[in-house]
Amino acid sequence: MNTSAPQLRTGFFRQSLLVSGLFVLGLVVVNFVFFKPGTVAVVLLSGLYQGMLFFLVAAGMSIVFGLLDVLNLAQGSFFMLGAYSGFAIYGALPEGTPVEVRFVAALAGATLFGGAVGAAVEVGLLRPLYARPVFQIVLTFGLGTAVNELVRALYGPAGLVPIQKPAALNTTFSVLGGQFEMYRAFIITVGFALMVSISLLLQRTRLGIVIRAGVQDSEMVQALGINIRRIFTLVFMLGTAVAALGGMTAAPFLGAYPAMGGEFLITAVIVIVIGGMSSYEGTAIASVLVGLTRATAEQISLQYLNTPIMASVSILIFMVVVLLVRPTGLFGRE
Amino acid sequence: MRAVDRFSGIIIPVVLALFILIPYGFAAAAGTAKEGLTGLAALHSAAESVYCAKGLTPVGIIVMIETGLLFIAVLLASRLDAIGAALRENGWYLLAVMALVALPFIIGWRTESSVCVRGKAFFWEAIFVDVFTVAILAISYNLMFGFAGVVSFGHAAFFGTGAYGVGLLMHHLGWPWWLGIMATLFAGALIALVKGVVGLRIRGLYFALFTLAFAQVFYLLAGNRLMANITGAEDGFTFDVPDWLNITKNRLFLYYLALLALVLAFWLVRRLMGSPTGRVLSALRDNEARAQMLGYNTFYFKLIAIVLAGVMATGAGVMRGLALKGASPEVLSLTYTFDPLLMTLVGGQATFAGPIVGAFGLHLVEDFVRDAAVTVGGVQINIGERWALILGVIFIVIVLAFPYGIVGTWQIKRLNTHEGWRRLFGKKLGIPPG
Repeated sequence: MNTSAPQLRTGFFRQSLLVSGLFVLGLVVVNFVFFKPGTVAVVLLSGLYQGMLFFLVAAGMSIVFGLLDVLNLAQGSFFMLGAYSGFAIYGALPEGTPVEVRFVAALAGATLFGGAVGAAVEVGLLRPLYARPVFQIVLTFGLGTAVNELVRALYGPAGLVPIQKPAALNTTFSVLGGQFEMYRAFIITVGFALMVSISLLLQRTRLGIVIRAGVQDSEMVQALGINIRRIFTLVFMLGTAVAALGGMTAAPFLGAYPAMGGEFLITAVIVIVIGGMSSYEGTAIASVLVGLTRATAEQISLQYLNTPIMASVSILIFMVVVLLVRPTGLFGRE
Repeated sequence: MRAVDRFSGIIIPVVLALFILIPYGFAAAAGTAKEGLTGLAALHSAAESVYCAKGLTPVGIIVMIETGLLFIAVLLASRLDAIGAALRENGWYLLAVMALVALPFIIGWRTESSVCVRGKAFFWEAIFVDVFTVAILAISYNLMFGFAGVVSFGHAAFFGTGAYGVGLLMHHLGWPWWLGIMATLFAGALIALVKGVVGLRIRGLYFALFTLAFAQVFYLLAGNRLMANITGAEDGFTFDVPDWLNITKNRLFLYYLALLALVLAFWLVRRLMGSPTGRVLSALRDNEARAQMLGYNTFYFKLIAIVLAGVMATGAGVMRGLALKGASPEVLSLTYTFDPLLMTLVGGQATFAGPIVGAFGLHLVEDFVRDAAVTVGGVQINIGERWALILGVIFIVIVLAFPYGIVGTWQIKRLNTHEGWRRLFGKKLGIPPG
């Protein structure tokens, strides 16, 4: 019994991986059937770009859900807070500071700010509620609403104009004849780098071992003499920091506006459900799948229906289908 | 107890009907009908000539006296025998209903306006129709979430189905109102059934998010340009309703119709939760594995809760559609999922009056602060524009400070004080346990 469990897990994991790989392959084939090669490259790249943004929001949610059993519906607001705080830092630096320095400072500042607010929220609001699961969802939803409205009240509903990108990222390059913005490639790079580094953190460090053990059974971890509460705070902080970094990374491209959090939140929820709620690998893979599905469906519906409607509908249907075939998501276990 | 049940089942509707027929009959007898009308139309026209007058009308006086009598009867309930037993169980609810019956007349009296034409009372009637609608929505959410423990984030799908369904059927297919309403309710039941049968094998939070996706698809499709010819896309569409259901022409009637629907929904949930089925629903909420061990097929019981809640929410949607004489994607938006959830939590989940208290409280507070403004440090803040912010804060405070909601907390506190009094003076005063 004991020896067969890990094997089962690997088998399950491989099977899901295979399904995901086939799905991506299918999407690529669909792309080539419907579009010219230049469009295919742009669609796939923008799928990856969207997927990385979804990943940045969803990664924190997934780990937090696995460890704390809290579905953090305020995560989208941290994404937005990242964008706004980054903009504030960008604008607050003295005249004459080069754009590159401002940009990096904004990224770092947004991450720190997101992490700090996240830690405060965990300690102040979530701690009393670990015994009442549904209430945490309600609380984080209320918190998200309140933060969104606060930002709307302070900065106005229209949002801020995108800040200037560093010159090196403000160009386009061509793939197979299609034009693609360098900045979106930068987002893909940042997302991928974070994907790998979080994975390394989880797999190769002592903290990662504790977190993974906590996902399995947090009481047992506590029994082994580890202060799980502190780990909870740390993980929640990490999750919100990553979301804020994501928000700031996206902001030079998307701008900063109060509704951006909500837009990404729903997709991020879909991503973690498809990936299997508490599975980090699942979330990483699902975010790419969702991004690619969304981009492909968007292009198809723009081409044939003249409206991007299928972009949102396709991923909702994707999620429903996944849940019906695997009620706990692609990589999730009961 | 059974005898009391049977007794109150007859006496309460009879008393309520009498309470409404007496002032109406009086008005019909005292008023003068418009010329050229015969039969019931003449009778109604005569009644209208009395109760539509501005300010304090005889009808208003009678209704208020009746409310006062009922209040005294409820206070004296412990001293009355047969009626007293029925009143002890339902008296406060009855009184609340009676107060709502009298409400338009009280507003009309205090603001010197008529209950039938444009004015203060007329304005508040429309607001209360809306309040009753969301109260039914909250009741239906509570049935599923509070009593049966099925967490769903897709309730807006039913509400929207109600508003869109009745409108589309009446507008595009030209169906009569009753067929439109019945077909819409049936459609709501069918959607709930499909959602339940397909979705219930998904557990817990996954199910909640499944329903969210389900509802979002409705929202996206209804508001899309592709459907412009059918649903009017983002702007929605309007439709005609028969005169007697028209809120601009016959608002007082619609007010009472909505109140009746609310009472029916409340009564239905109370009867259901008092029945063996209701007991099983509570049991599976508290411990599903144990309910299964006892031999109950929890799947079917959850399905019952989902379908009933779905039909009730669809009914609320129908009311919204008829009251607005139109539908727009807003009725399918997340607002109508999270508002009933918030109302249920504010009022107290798994209590009968909780969702109603929550719906009344939140909706009326929103209406009162809509135009309110405060000045803090020289900056004027319009509270109405910041309603979402206030809602968010209410969410947080309720969750942290009042986990059982208003009614739930009150019930617990009352039991506590009751128990305390009993321990202190129980023997001397003869306070019964409980």
